[in-house]
Amino acid sequence: AAVKAYELRNKNKAELLKTLDEQKQELASLRVQKVAGGSASKLHQIGLARKNIARTLTVINQTQREQLRLFYQKKKYIPLDLRVKKTRAMRRALTPFEKKLKTQKQQKKENHFPLRKYAVKA
Amino acid sequence: MDYITNRRKYNSTMTNFPNLLASKAAAAKKAALKGVHGKSVRKVRTSAHFHLPKTLRLSRKPKYARKSVPHLPRMDQYRVVRNPLNTETAMKKIEEHNTLTFIVDVKANKHQIKDAVKRLYDVEALKVNTLIRPDGKKKAYVRLTADVDALDVANKVKTYGLIYMSGRRERKNCMNIRYI
Repeated sequence: AAVKAYELRNKNKAELLKTLDEQKQELASLRVQKVAGGSASKLHQIGLARKNIARTLTVINQTQREQLRLFYQKKKYIPLDLRVKKTRAMRRALTPFEKKLKTQKQQKKENHFPLRKYAVKA
Repeated sequence: MDYITNRRKYNSTMTNFPNLLASKAAAAKKAALKGVHGKSVRKVRTSAHFHLPKTLRLSRKPKYARKSVPHLPRMDQYRVVRNPLNTETAMKKIEEHNTLTFIVDVKANKHQIKDAVKRLYDVEALKVNTLIRPDGKKKAYVRLTADVDALDVANKVKTYGLIYMSGRRERKNCMNIRYI
């Protein structure tokens, strides 16, 4: 019995948690049957049950984080795990705005002595 | 100032009334400008030792949560208790000592085991003994309270298959463990 993720996404959080609990109970009972010497089909269900639990948890976490990102969209400070990850160095690097800043001296030079292009007449 | 009792002083102050007011105002102005902390007073030290002074401690008011959402409980009852044991010695413990034996997560402690068993099987544990097996798994002996029969609990959960007992004394022929 493999539950489908797209069916899970229609449920709300309370229902999802309930299904998660049920799936865990199912897995627990299967483990018990394994110890009591279950049939091969029952033992096969253990793998399926574990993946079902994983699927439910994935759906729960995915929808949760999606909703949180919407919530924090307009805010200034957002939680660290919702921020962009990249690498540590890249996060500390200069922003594009900061990189393009020039001193007034340099601006003047560039204005007065821009790069000239010449063409040679054949 | 009472006129009758102190005529002289009253007369002298009252004739200089405008000056009196002016001087009072001037004094008030001076005091306001000077402030309250004009005079420095040495603190009275009643002990020869200097201890850490008590300063202001503000409580945290974070501008944002560090973790967006707290994690679901990691050590829930399903994680703690893995599976019950149905070996011969485990069976013996059920009948004679009213205890259930479980294989339990290695990171679980006795409090967690007791709580998990309560949640899963709805029974109170009298005490929990644990050991770590040579194969690295943790085994828990959970002694149940006297009002509950371990055999009933085991059967209810269909834990050990169905256990039929016919004659308690003889070990080998007494138990027919039917596998599901």
